[in-house]
Amino acid sequence: MQHSIKDDYINSIKNYTNQFEDTNFRRIACNDFKSWPSPREETWRLSRLGSLSRKKIKPINPNLKKNNNNTSTLIGSTIIHFIDGAYREDLSSKLPSGVNLSVLSDSEGLKYLQKIKKSNLSDHPSTNVSLSCTPSIMKLTVSKDTKVKDFIQIIYEGGEDNQSVHPVLYLELEKNSSLYLIERFNHLTSLAMPLQLIELRNKASLNSIKIFNDNEKTYNLSANCVYLSKESYLNSFSLIKGGIFTRSETHAYLNGCNAKLNLNGVYISCNKQHHDLTTAIYHDVPDCTSKQIVRGVLGGKSTGVFQGKVRVAQDAQRTDGQQMSRAILLSDTASANAKPELEIYADDVICAHGATVGELDDDQLFYLNSRGVPMDKAREILIKAFLEDMINQSVDNSLHDFVFKEAELALSSIITKEIF
Amino acid sequence: MSLLEIKNACLKLDNKNILNGVSLSINSGEVHAIMGPNGSGKSTLSYMLAGRDGYELEEGEILLDGISLSEMEADERARSGLFLAFQYPVELPGVGGMSFLREAVNSRRKFLGEEELDHLAFVKEARKEASKMHVKDEMLKRAVNVGFSGGEKKRFEILQMAMLKPTVSILDETDSGLDVDALKIVSDGVNAQRNNDNAIVVITHYQRLLDYIIPDFVHILSDGVIIKSGGPELALEVEKNGYSGLINAA
Repeated sequence: MQHSIKDDYINSIKNYTNQFEDTNFRRIACNDFKSWPSPREETWRLSRLGSLSRKKIKPINPNLKKNNNNTSTLIGSTIIHFIDGAYREDLSSKLPSGVNLSVLSDSEGLKYLQKIKKSNLSDHPSTNVSLSCTPSIMKLTVSKDTKVKDFIQIIYEGGEDNQSVHPVLYLELEKNSSLYLIERFNHLTSLAMPLQLIELRNKASLNSIKIFNDNEKTYNLSANCVYLSKESYLNSFSLIKGGIFTRSETHAYLNGCNAKLNLNGVYISCNKQHHDLTTAIYHDVPDCTSKQIVRGVLGGKSTGVFQGKVRVAQDAQRTDGQQMSRAILLSDTASANAKPELEIYADDVICAHGATVGELDDDQLFYLNSRGVPMDKAREILIKAFLEDMINQSVDNSLHDFVFKEAELALSSIITKEIF
Repeated sequence: MSLLEIKNACLKLDNKNILNGVSLSINSGEVHAIMGPNGSGKSTLSYMLAGRDGYELEEGEILLDGISLSEMEADERARSGLFLAFQYPVELPGVGGMSFLREAVNSRRKFLGEEELDHLAFVKEARKEASKMHVKDEMLKRAVNVGFSGGEKKRFEILQMAMLKPTVSILDETDSGLDVDALKIVSDGVNAQRNNDNAIVVITHYQRLLDYIIPDFVHILSDGVIIKSGGPELALEVEKNGYSGLINAA
């Protein structure tokens, strides 16, 4: 039989996992990784991994002496560093009281695996490869009734050419706790496979911002599994601007009544970048709300994908599920795909979705022109407004400027190329 | 010399003749009203003057202060002193009212060779003009026209006119969607800007607006041509007899 690169990667994972003592969850995950998803699989049809699967990649051995880059950090935030996928206590700040970071044991790792396997992320490559190869599963816990005031910022860096990194996180917000979390993916590697399990207990509240800004050669296959209990709240916003191929996939299970979820995102794509926001929201109990707004701005030969599924189970009466995606193409060679999907088995629900792909609005451009604003400036104003409007709706007031500046950095290079 | 000269303007949309030779000469200090039934070409005329894409003249010429507009894009026309108050002002989600006004005013100032206003000076000026138009500070912080009532939108249009100090203003059905009180505020705002150096063209269906903004001349547009011109009394005639009498007589 011909020896394929795919087999190389599987073998390198197997060899790699042998070095660990906590082998149980790794062994199961490793056996479950059969191959990269094929474009014949519906959810990977629009985001093909052909060129990744042809690369000779092996899991990285974290270099625990590697220093962090000087990523600008938010003032007043607690910093947690992951380099080469490994948590680096020496570079991280002291955690505020009520917040704890620990390493999962082998048996806890098995439970972690079971929780992810229960979800529709069970076959996601990051689930199986990252659980096999992660240096350790890190658990961040916010204890009961703790309202963390300062932002916690997690910065993921490191990696090498032809190597893959595997940060795995378990985030648990105990009953009635709250947290603002900002995560920044700044890898310089061929492949990053961050995996997260998030559990929000009753009345817990998480404001989460993820900024994907990996190196221009990086493939990032982020996988997130979220369980929301009664009256819990997740307000999540993702900004995807880096990497050659970034796919953020999130599966959220609303398991407790009156849980509320906002799952918003923006992608800003240029050159040959491919950006993909894939989500699945499962309404399994009554009286939950989910809202999703996704916007994209694309230039060059970039491609954007939004796939959003909302499933409302038979018992999930009085569900309110809204989904809206809009992409603006600034060049003739860019393309965007939107695939909203509603699967409704309950009868008393409000669900809506809409998707548009197009250019800037002629009426709006003319209105600005008619006030003396030149066409190139008018286009710049409208593109920025398109994202700013969305960021204002999605992100806590105190973080508007921070997030918009992050978006603006990526936007300005597209605007320079496509407009001026 | 006329401030705005429209010479034999002919225009087609989707191969259909909409303007069939409109000629009009407007001098500084004058207010002209253009009235006409639905589909007579009023809004087309205003878009054509403002330079909207797709509304280029087949024949004829437009001169603003003696300079031909035919080669100018919409933004150049605006910077040169032409202003269009929209019948349906466009919403700009995410574009703050104050920064929008500042962008517009500074574009015009740059063209006139005046220094751009710094932020503080601009805000002061904008607030002063806004209060005259009963536009609250809070409205200027919101996105342009988003969630504005019909009256607020029209007041914001006239506020822009006051800030930009155009030489020729075209008010396209500024009275539509306004109640009596709002109509008075908007009209007072327009009247405050009448002077000997500018000209105003009021486009409307109804005589009602002309009770507040009293024109020097009234023109009746029908099927893309001006069929009759006269003084303010012509508007009263329309009010009394409708357009059909005038059109039949023409």
